[in-house]
Amino acid sequence: MTSTRKIVVVAVVSLLAGLLIPLGKTQQIPGPVKAVQLTGLPGVKDNAKGTLGVENGQLHFLHSNANSDVPAASIEDVATGADSERAVGKTIGTLSMAAPYGGGRFLSLFRKKIDTLTVQYRDPDGGLHGAIFTMPPGTAEVIKKELVAQGAHTSATTEPNAPAAPSTNSPNKEEKQ
Amino acid sequence: MKCFLNAVIHLSLATLAFAAGPLFGQEHGPAKVKFSAIQVLMIQSDEIKLPPEFQVALYENLVRQLVKQRGFQHVYRDGDRNAKNAARLVVLHSTVRGFQAGSERARQVTTIAGATSITVHCQFTNPDGTSLLERDVNGKVRFFGGNLKATYDFAKKAARVTYENLASSDSK
Repeated sequence: MTSTRKIVVVAVVSLLAGLLIPLGKTQQIPGPVKAVQLTGLPGVKDNAKGTLGVENGQLHFLHSNANSDVPAASIEDVATGADSERAVGKTIGTLSMAAPYGGGRFLSLFRKKIDTLTVQYRDPDGGLHGAIFTMPPGTAEVIKKELVAQGAHTSATTEPNAPAAPSTNSPNKEEKQ
Repeated sequence: MKCFLNAVIHLSLATLAFAAGPLFGQEHGPAKVKFSAIQVLMIQSDEIKLPPEFQVALYENLVRQLVKQRGFQHVYRDGDRNAKNAARLVVLHSTVRGFQAGSERARQVTTIAGATSITVHCQFTNPDGTSLLERDVNGKVRFFGGNLKATYDFAKKAARVTYENLASSDSK
């Protein structure tokens, strides 16, 4: 009798788990990621650090306790790219250029990979705006997919890590700003 | 005596050359028609494959520099409906003609290699499409800064060209 009860409990738990796991996957919303707004958002300084996420049909950038929202439906194009930036910070990196025996130049060799996210959107008057963000690698594509799912448009269909066709004007792989 | 005549002839020719210079300059200079509003259209790069972040940075920096110059009462963005009612409006069309993606790492390590340069053809037209002025403006980053700094360099130069040739002085 006890073993039968155990079997029933295990079966019910398995059934519930089987139902909940796919539900959890479909409701998976990427949490806010750390990002740097290079340029473009009105009222936000260039190179402002903050968190970027997609909530309630809005691209949401939170920086120094202030919010900037861009409706996903107003986004005409969203594109991602791969890039890199100096591993050593800007001020220290610049100061290190004065280091003897090429020490600063040696530090310049160390770079970390980043993702870029570029969006073009319209304001209520129809004016075109563009905004550029950088963020940790692997996160831009998630945000792009979420934006597209919530109504944003995109012209680029290729993955950022997909091998690109050889071109004389290949996109740069260095720091943007 | 012959030497004196030669000196007089040379002096006369030199005077004529100096006097005629400004006249020829006026003939070939751009039309000084002044406008109080400008609409900046999105940067086009059909021939040159340009990364999207460069395209957006060119556009945003250009709008920002034109606002900063304060040569126009209004700076309208691409698609702005308010531009239709603007008086004395000039439209700026920009097309990328050349792009060389450099490398910040190469710039910092070698200081002579890795420059990023971008060349943009700027065409200023009336709202009906009549061309007023055309210029090629380039942006470069040679030593310090990331590659996107070339877009800032371009925007500053383009805004200066716009201000000098088309902005009305009463807009400030």
